[in-house]
Amino acid sequence: MARDRSHRDDYTGPLKRLLTGIACLLLASVFIVWRIDSPRVERFRAQVLDRIVPNMDWAMAPVTGAANLVRDFQSYQRLAEQNRELRSELRQMQAWKEAALQLEQENARLLDLNNVRLDPKLTYVTGVVMADSGSPFRQSVLLNVGARDGIRDGWAAMDGLGLVGRISGTGKSTARVLLLTDAASAVPAVIQPSQQTALIKGDNTGAPLIDFLENRDMVRPGDRVLTSGDGEVFPAGLLIGQVAEDPQGRLRVRLSADYERLEFLRILRHHGNETVRDPGALVVPAPGATWPRPRPEGLTEAGDG
Amino acid sequence: MADTSPARTWVMRAVFPALALALIFFHLLPLDTVPRRMAPPDLLLAFAFAWCFRRPDFLPVPLLAATFLLADLALQRPPGLQALLALLGCEYIKSRALHLRDTSFAGEWMSAGGAITAVFLVQRLLLGLAGVPQAQLSLTVSALLLTILAYPLAVAASQSLLRVRRLTSAEAEAMGDRL
Repeated sequence: MARDRSHRDDYTGPLKRLLTGIACLLLASVFIVWRIDSPRVERFRAQVLDRIVPNMDWAMAPVTGAANLVRDFQSYQRLAEQNRELRSELRQMQAWKEAALQLEQENARLLDLNNVRLDPKLTYVTGVVMADSGSPFRQSVLLNVGARDGIRDGWAAMDGLGLVGRISGTGKSTARVLLLTDAASAVPAVIQPSQQTALIKGDNTGAPLIDFLENRDMVRPGDRVLTSGDGEVFPAGLLIGQVAEDPQGRLRVRLSADYERLEFLRILRHHGNETVRDPGALVVPAPGATWPRPRPEGLTEAGDG
Repeated sequence: MADTSPARTWVMRAVFPALALALIFFHLLPLDTVPRRMAPPDLLLAFAFAWCFRRPDFLPVPLLAATFLLADLALQRPPGLQALLALLGCEYIKSRALHLRDTSFAGEWMSAGGAITAVFLVQRLLLGLAGVPQAQLSLTVSALLLTILAYPLAVAASQSLLRVRRLTSAEAEAMGDRL
């Protein structure tokens, strides 16, 4: 028997070891390629998930629904208490609603007076959350809209209230949203009313850190945090949340978006902010321009007539 | 008695990727989009090690590599790294399985725990060396401990539900080349 086994090792052993070596080499090279050329491999990953996840959708939707149903059922247990809370909240809300209506009317009147045109480019596509990152180390969700729907990398994703994250990786029919809570997320922001700029950096906790703040003393917990539009990543003025202080004394953002239930997300179409690059031909002649400038042709006809 | 027929081997070779897909499926359900303090156990790793101890012939190297790589891709991990370490861990356990065939479960748990620890810590070390930004250490440690604790559960599920049992010496001899 023993002789038998050693004989077997003679030819299958090296073969198996070779196979193991090749597999290890392949996996290691995948990792190294990912480290060197991350976007390409991430694109490949997005394509793989684009194939797999939509096929799982028929099963995912009911299971997620059932799990949420169980959760809702658990919350029925404290229904009476919730009811009381909701009623008092509703009373407050009615007061706010009245104030909001009045403000809305006033705002409309003022906008009309000033001839302000709201930015028509900020339209949005709504997507449904299909899957999350599946790992506690990364914070992202997968939406059911993708390159087919015109989604592009870098666009902002919001729920009804606040910013949720940005598109990072699009497949044909899926797109990944990197949440603000992910460690790789950093968003330039401005804190109102003090107009301090800062960077909102995720660190895998529920409330992202406020970093690179100019003057800490001017910021108080409760201040509003909005996107600043710096770096041309996001349009300016999207609500992120409110400033809060953690027990260690660091400033964090309490996010406005409801991260407990991310179901439908709005992807804002954003084609970059227009910036003024030339000095303006009226004030300074363009380099190499003849002086005086020739009269525009459209004007001569209008002048003659 | 363990079933040693080739048909069963091939069926179980299909069952393992199916199990992996089911685990990935439950990971991907969009149930908690809020960051958690604790990381759940890596059940795929626990199952792979439990199977490697029992029936190495169910898990050939290409199958393991492909399954782990798919899990890496689907679960947003750096692709290839954990797959590589898990594969090495599985090969280590396969080599130990021949010697440990008749020892108690405690001995097996120790070896598996050691391999799991090595996978997690070496991964963290290599990610650090490669300069990849990482999550807090507490997440890794909780995932590591929970995986070790989940190992007996993976073993119990494999043995009772999927009937992946250890071969006796006589059966191993009868299997001959295929092992």
